Amino acid sequence: MNVSRNYLMSRAFAALFLLLALAGNSPAAMDYDQLFRQSGDLMAQGDLEGALKLLRQVPLPAAGEEAAPFVSSRMQAARIHAAQEAPDKAIAACQEVLKLYPDNSEARNFVAALQAQLKPRWHTILSDIVRFLPALAKGTIMTLLLVFCTILVSPLGGLLLALGRISTLRPISALCWFITWFFRGTPLLLQLFFIYYGLPSLGITLAPLTAAVIGLGLNYSAYLGEIIRGAIQSIDHGQMEAAKAIGMSYGQAMRRVIIPQTYKRLMPPVGNEFIALIKDTALVSTIAMVELMRAADQLFNTYFNITALGLAAAIYLLLTTIFTFIFEKIEYRAGIYEHR
Amino acid sequence: MSIVREPLLKLEKITKRFKSLTAVNGVNLEVASGEKLVIIGPSGSGKSTLLRSINLLEEIDEGTIRFEGVEVGYVTRHGKRHLDRPQAISTLRAEIGMVFQHFHLFPHMTVLGNVMEGPLTVQRKPTDEARSIATDMLAKVGLSDKSNVFPATLSGGQKQRVAIARALAMRPKLMLFDEPTSALDPELVGEVFDTIHTLADEGMTMIIVTHHMGFARELADRVIFMESGNFLAQGRPEELFSAAQGNERIKLFLNRLL
Repeated sequence: MNVSRNYLMSRAFAALFLLLALAGNSPAAMDYDQLFRQSGDLMAQGDLEGALKLLRQVPLPAAGEEAAPFVSSRMQAARIHAAQEAPDKAIAACQEVLKLYPDNSEARNFVAALQAQLKPRWHTILSDIVRFLPALAKGTIMTLLLVFCTILVSPLGGLLLALGRISTLRPISALCWFITWFFRGTPLLLQLFFIYYGLPSLGITLAPLTAAVIGLGLNYSAYLGEIIRGAIQSIDHGQMEAAKAIGMSYGQAMRRVIIPQTYKRLMPPVGNEFIALIKDTALVSTIAMVELMRAADQLFNTYFNITALGLAAAIYLLLTTIFTFIFEKIEYRAGIYEHR
Repeated sequence: MSIVREPLLKLEKITKRFKSLTAVNGVNLEVASGEKLVIIGPSGSGKSTLLRSINLLEEIDEGTIRFEGVEVGYVTRHGKRHLDRPQAISTLRAEIGMVFQHFHLFPHMTVLGNVMEGPLTVQRKPTDEARSIATDMLAKVGLSDKSNVFPATLSGGQKQRVAIARALAMRPKLMLFDEPTSALDPELVGEVFDTIHTLADEGMTMIIVTHHMGFARELADRVIFMESGNFLAQGRPEELFSAAQGNERIKLFLNRLL
């Protein structure tokens, strides 16, 4: 029970004074006036049981009789019960009122609030999850879209950068070195800002999704390029010689012999990068895209409810876990020829 | 009347330097069609470098290479010598088979895939034809039953026989063997040697760099002893081995091997 006892007490006194003010104008309610005052005194002395006993003496109103004293007494009793952390008794008191006056909104709201308190915590969390899930699912779809676009684009870009870097043509290797240097050496956030907010001043205005895929694609191409280059250069030099010795061109040797052998070696670091990518898509929320992180942030700011953030964390974990398993599977498959 | 036949391979004044080291020092060599040539000599004498220069895995600094009477591998532009176009070099390599000390099989392809790769990718033959060539070559080296396994499951001797089949699948006119048995356990040398012997009996032209005197004795038409980038002595095996008695350097080398 986390309803403040003091708060309920103060509400109880306020209601009592209001009632006394009303009762003062009605000669018929004079008995009750006395009774409420006494019970108020008892409450002030801390004798809640005594106050309850007095309040219970107010009978059901007879036909045509004023209902206010009865309703007030039962609602007051309900507040005292709630303050005593006995919500079941409080609800029972409210229901006495509701039996006679089913439309009494005060009694109804109080019952609803008490019942919400009676529910276990997980129930509240569950209902929050159900409430937040649609918005987060939408965000997740956007996150996945970004991830898949980047996964389509960046290995190709990375391969080109890697081949360019090991090219014997100086201008090409220098250019690829520069691209790698630039996109690895500046924050992704800055690159996204530049592409989305900076390029319009050069007359190029991009949709948020386009800007995001370009930014993520270039950044991840730079990282993957170095990983792919490392993998290519780690393949035994004899493989290239053997390929050349049967008459293959450099391109044929790369395509048929060298690059297929890098797949297994590529999987662990590339898996790492793609897991980082899933989380890096959160940066895209800064350029007006509502992906998972942004969706969670909006829910958090609207409801001030931490469940939204926890749920987002769980979804990120789910996605990265799926990726981990997929990459382990691919790594195994890619290296199957090494198994004896 | 004798017909003057152009040698299959003619090397003139081949020189290859690695920085300050002269690996091959202006050697001349003619290899007739069908000839079996064995090059022996201590480590670092330039045997492998010479062999690799023939199919242009090493770019030589001086000299000319003639294959079937045609100068190959290099062109002169503006008075400076350059490697020929990649296309031309690939064409030459396709006609010269090479077998390496460490096999260099393609580990991600099956045995059949390794042997098919040349005909398929380089000669662009249809898959069925490439497969039938590869099957024949595997039968020739006695490994038909290993067609569908990956190289990782083979013994060293089997790997080297697959490597020979891979080279043969290109129907080369010349085979280069660069220490084909040096990486093998002694008990596996025999099977590779037998395979090479079968090839020799079929009339294949071959140059073998080896430390294995068995090749020289049984197989060679001519043996060359190489040291410090030069040919120190050459001749028929029996001549060379008897001549060796007069040459301290060769005698020392042979005594260490035999």
